[in-house]
Amino acid sequence: MTIHRVIRKVQRFEGWFGGGAVLCLIAGLYLGLIGSPPDYYQGEVVRIMYIHVPLAHTSLLGYTVLAVGSLWYLWKRDPIVDNMCQAVAALSAVFTALALGTGMIWGKPTWDTWWTWDARLTSFTVLLLILIGYLMLRTFVDDPEKEARYGAILAIVGFVDLPIIHFSVEWWRTLHQPQSISMRGVSISSGLLVPLLFMSVGMSLLFSYMLMVRTQLLYLDRLLHAKKGRLLSQFHLSKSDS
Amino acid sequence: MTNLHIRWGGVCIVATVLIVLTYHHYRDNLASLAPRQVKQEAPAGDIRVLGMVQGGTLETHGVGKAAFTLLGESASLPVQYEGPPPDNLRELKVLILIGRWNAATQIFEARDIGIVPNYGFIAGAYLLGLLPLALLLFAMNRRVHCLYEEIKASKLYEEE
Repeated sequence: MTIHRVIRKVQRFEGWFGGGAVLCLIAGLYLGLIGSPPDYYQGEVVRIMYIHVPLAHTSLLGYTVLAVGSLWYLWKRDPIVDNMCQAVAALSAVFTALALGTGMIWGKPTWDTWWTWDARLTSFTVLLLILIGYLMLRTFVDDPEKEARYGAILAIVGFVDLPIIHFSVEWWRTLHQPQSISMRGVSISSGLLVPLLFMSVGMSLLFSYMLMVRTQLLYLDRLLHAKKGRLLSQFHLSKSDS
Repeated sequence: MTNLHIRWGGVCIVATVLIVLTYHHYRDNLASLAPRQVKQEAPAGDIRVLGMVQGGTLETHGVGKAAFTLLGESASLPVQYEGPPPDNLRELKVLILIGRWNAATQIFEARDIGIVPNYGFIAGAYLLGLLPLALLLFAMNRRVHCLYEEIKASKLYEEE
């Protein structure tokens, strides 16, 4: 099965992704804001976790998709995959910036500071810079093939930041709390875990839906430009013939 | 009215319902009195008082029993607490006390202690997390819709 068929099959369920995201987010927001108990130590402010953690998880998922897509592009040179990579990079940058922003808001009442050069925060900021760099690089190169190739190489090199983000709370002594869900088990109560799971699934579905819409948008934009360009060149050719 | 408007109208209605439900749920927790108001107004029944535990005044009398002075807005309030063992009762910590004012003894009899909820931070985080995503998705949906219309109008979809 070619990647084209996979993309086409997935695109057919675009509405299901959007609907699923809305349902999961409604359930997650209701449980997170109203149904779940406050934390014994942080109190009500723990509810920020239900928006911050899913945003952070989804941005990491987005970058993983970008890295895998970039590898695929370098192997097959498929322009549709490159289109998807460009779409996923912009969305990942938005999700990463929002994860950092909500984390800063959570940091103020819990750590009494908006920002600290903690290992997790710094490595996450590096991820945002890589994504912004990727998007900027694509605007500097005129040749579409070179633009896609250079972007793919940068995305694959930048993937080294993901394990650093993941293990930063274990490798260094940080203000950021260790992972609550890991291979060693789950260290948060079910009252807090259920809304977190709903929000995480909802955010991943929302990201997938947004990715489909953005890929479609970039494709249509390029199609329109290409067709307009072809019509214009035909018009010029006919003029020069006559 | 297009499908785009119907879909986003639904999202707006659901968001409004969630905001109203959340506001109703926390409405009682939003209001609290300062120690000065408690002394001046002497309200009857259960009330919530916001203030800081004055340094050097905290005395514990066994599990779940304590006495201290609560400071706030240049007034102080003597407090006697009796209830579940408090996790957050410390000197110089800002707390919310739930209980009733005894006008005869001039002591606030607290039965529960909570930390300040910081609803502003929570509302700020949710607005920052969700609003830009909703606006971005709406803008993308609209742009896709416009691109389709443009392609149809210019008949570029036909084979050249």
